[in-house]
Amino acid sequence: MLREPLVHFACAGALLFGVYAWLHPERLAGDDSRRIELAADDLRQIRLAWLAQGRPEPTPEQMQNLVEDRIREEILYREALALGLDQNDTIVKRRLAQKMEFLFEDVSALREPAADELEAFHAEHAERFAEPARVTFRQLYFSPDKRGAKAREDAARALEPLAGERLDTAAAEALADPFMFQDYYGDRPFEQVASAFGPGFATALFAVEPGAWHGPIESGYGWHLVFVDTHTPARTRELSEVEPEVRSAWLEVQRETLRRAALERMRASYEIVLPTETADGNAAR
Amino acid sequence: MKIDTPLDWAGVTDHSEYAGVVNLANEPGSAVSKLPEAQPLILKAKTKEEMERVALYAITTLVPGPPVKALMSPEVAGSVWKRNIDLANAANEPGKFTAFCSYEWTSMPNSMNLHRNVFFKDCAKVPVQPFSALDSFHPVDLWNWMDGQRKAGNELLAISHNANLSDGRMFPTEVDTKGRPIDAAYAESRVRNERLIEIKQLKGTSETHPLLSPTDEFASFELMSTLLGGPPGRFPHIVGSYARQALKDGIALEDSRGSNPFKFGFGAASDSHNTAVPYRQNNMFGGHSFTDGTPEVRMSGNLVGGFFDARTESTSGLTGVWADENTRAALFEGMQRRETFGVSGPHIQVRMFGGWEYSAAMIAAKDWAATGYAKGVPMGGDLPPASGKAPTFMVWAVKDPTSGNLDRIQIVKGWTKSGQSFEKVFDVVWAGDRKPDKWTGVVPPIGSTVDIDAATYTNSIGSVELKTVWTDPEFDPAVHAFYYARVLEIPTPRWTTIQAKQLGIAPPGVVPPTLQERAWGSPIWYTPSAEARKAAAKGTTVADVKKQGGTALDDAKLRALIEHKSVWLQNTVTGDKYMIVYGSLGKGAAKKPLTPAEADYDTQAFPANQGQFQVRYVDRGVTLQSLTGDVFEASYLGTARTYNIAGGKILTDLVGTPIETTVYKLGDKYLAARSNEFGFVNYEIIPTVAVLHPLGAAPDQSKPN
Repeated sequence: MLREPLVHFACAGALLFGVYAWLHPERLAGDDSRRIELAADDLRQIRLAWLAQGRPEPTPEQMQNLVEDRIREEILYREALALGLDQNDTIVKRRLAQKMEFLFEDVSALREPAADELEAFHAEHAERFAEPARVTFRQLYFSPDKRGAKAREDAARALEPLAGERLDTAAAEALADPFMFQDYYGDRPFEQVASAFGPGFATALFAVEPGAWHGPIESGYGWHLVFVDTHTPARTRELSEVEPEVRSAWLEVQRETLRRAALERMRASYEIVLPTETADGNAAR
Repeated sequence: MKIDTPLDWAGVTDHSEYAGVVNLANEPGSAVSKLPEAQPLILKAKTKEEMERVALYAITTLVPGPPVKALMSPEVAGSVWKRNIDLANAANEPGKFTAFCSYEWTSMPNSMNLHRNVFFKDCAKVPVQPFSALDSFHPVDLWNWMDGQRKAGNELLAISHNANLSDGRMFPTEVDTKGRPIDAAYAESRVRNERLIEIKQLKGTSETHPLLSPTDEFASFELMSTLLGGPPGRFPHIVGSYARQALKDGIALEDSRGSNPFKFGFGAASDSHNTAVPYRQNNMFGGHSFTDGTPEVRMSGNLVGGFFDARTESTSGLTGVWADENTRAALFEGMQRRETFGVSGPHIQVRMFGGWEYSAAMIAAKDWAATGYAKGVPMGGDLPPASGKAPTFMVWAVKDPTSGNLDRIQIVKGWTKSGQSFEKVFDVVWAGDRKPDKWTGVVPPIGSTVDIDAATYTNSIGSVELKTVWTDPEFDPAVHAFYYARVLEIPTPRWTTIQAKQLGIAPPGVVPPTLQERAWGSPIWYTPSAEARKAAAKGTTVADVKKQGGTALDDAKLRALIEHKSVWLQNTVTGDKYMIVYGSLGKGAAKKPLTPAEADYDTQAFPANQGQFQVRYVDRGVTLQSLTGDVFEASYLGTARTYNIAGGKILTDLVGTPIETTVYKLGDKYLAARSNEFGFVNYEIIPTVAVLHPLGAAPDQSKPN
């Protein structure tokens, strides 16, 4: 009998409970802790949670099991609380702390920005809502796979017939090698060019004067001659163009401000004690 | 942490169990607005002061009071899951950046990693709570739940994650985690839901393993053999943990039992636990917060989670999808039809089409991909019914513009006959003017420009772009097969070499100093028509042998047949011949003084019925059937493995996975069946072979083909 783990468990549990009851008599008093009531709303929630998993309507039997599970969970939950098992539990702590954060978030979402607040926010953070610079360009490719070390030289040489005159597409392409992607790129911001050709190419391309062939410029694939048709500089966008983005950015800042303010306010009512530093900068043991 | 080339799409796959704990803790009550506690939470005016009043109330009144009910209703509390959905919606910009609603189902019974990443097509339809491993750790239950979601109009798919850490349970061939057979229902459910597998991520590669692919000289790539949490006394099973073997088992299962559970495409993923994706060797910042978060911690060989050396951690992989546009719908559909590829890190692009009439002129044309679709199928698909002598494949790859040049494209072929499965890696197009070996067709290594001390390389070797049309030179229309492309970069320094240089220490000895980054394209399958199947040699099954009067040998007869003998065997499917030396079995007797000259000197200490065996005379030129281990190396080094005889079987194993051989006597013949060959009897004991490779002899008529 004494070797039975269940008996050990029960004895340990009883002992723990006894000690706890002796230390905290008030937490165990009161009839409410012995009453578990599920309202019609609760049953509806149980059913909805079941349906939300994409399952068919629960049978009466399944429903009964779900309710029984709920009761079981509630009992164990209350017993665990009574035993103080929520104390010093990292997961419980973390979860409750997180709920507080959700709460701030929810409270902050309760208010919409006023028109003048949005305007001020937009003006203050104009660069965040700016439209980036973009280029429209054509390129001719000189492949190291085909030309080896001569690719750069060949590209430089091809610049001569291109310079000054606007060759038609076929004539220009005949000077170069087929490129595996596009020959023409419309309205591309820096990041897109960098991600397609490599950052070095993008930097060089954005410095090119529109309206003439330039190069050779090196990419991650080899050498290119480029013709920039248009270079649209970055520009600030009006609030009317970007209102949804400004609004959600405002809400984000609002949330963060509120969260920080709330935390500071709560923190002010606490005395925080940390180990004192010793002369060598290490915490005292 | 900052990545250099921005990603085009992502799914944030939080562990569902975090949200699942929320679920368990959440107590649905009535709607929050009806709660008296909530009344003060409602703003009476939309002013800053009123907002602060509400916040203050929440902080000062709700918290010290009984908070549970009011706070736990979903309207107030939300959950991690809801937050992830909100983040995905906020980040999603159709055409620019796609953010999926997704999560990681974190099933790990008994430390076996069965994790799946679940992706939803449309965030508007996601469930209130994801199905977590707390609901069930059985993959079949996840798939059932997914079927229910799909029926309710919520499209979703699963990607298996870290098969290499699954302890052999990611790709089972006999029974699932519930002990139910891997049958047609299992196969259909799995293939319907699990469209992709993750072939590479921080914790290693799941393509293949040198013991499963001993003829693949590039198989040893960023492996990690461990179990989650490093349970003491256990080492991971290799069989059942790797994709290529699963693809082979899949077609063998389809051929022998009628359904293929392992028809998946390839992707790769980060497995980062700190929000950014370290996919570059020169920008490797770890993936497990403080356990690998600084070069000093990583390079000191910190044991992450107590179960793997941080230096063996790999960079993150990425998934590429061929799609018309960068939207949730288009990318999801691309994953759904398996038109995907995985990369080990760099943005290598690979694309392959399979058909019967592709030509060199077609792939040379600018619109070759359009031709690919018009005259065949993209990767992830099934070859259309045969309309030519052999299938043709258009394959193309281009390098990452900020990474190493390309070494070669390979096509990995797998096929099956009589329950046996086989693989072969073909070099199909490569950089430079290297000549493939005249006899084996293998292209020699590209060489290396890596300076290990400086941790640098140059792109003076290798290609920017590789493409070709390849025709299977060994095509047999009667057998199931699959084909997938693997692209290799030139050798570059591994992140450990780069960070060793930064710290002024030696590159660690636990990993190679260089690696060949790579991309894997999803397979294309060939299924023979019923007519073509008829033309195939029908293998001999256990049932056939029994019907003809064959009887299985019992332990005593097995001992008499093989113990302390050198047995010559022929694989009747391939015709290959080899010898197995079966040593004496131990007697489990008390040790007694013997002299080395006595026969029992070595084996007397073995347990009863246990001995060692050695495979000999295996030629690298043979077509090796699955799950034999590296028998070339074994016959060359003279290494032995353990066998014993029990229950009428010769019991052996491959890294802990049992492989049992039953021997049947039929007339005066001895025939043998291995337990991993799906009920076929594929071996015969043959007379001693005197000359292994007779020169100028007539072709061996016993050899099929």
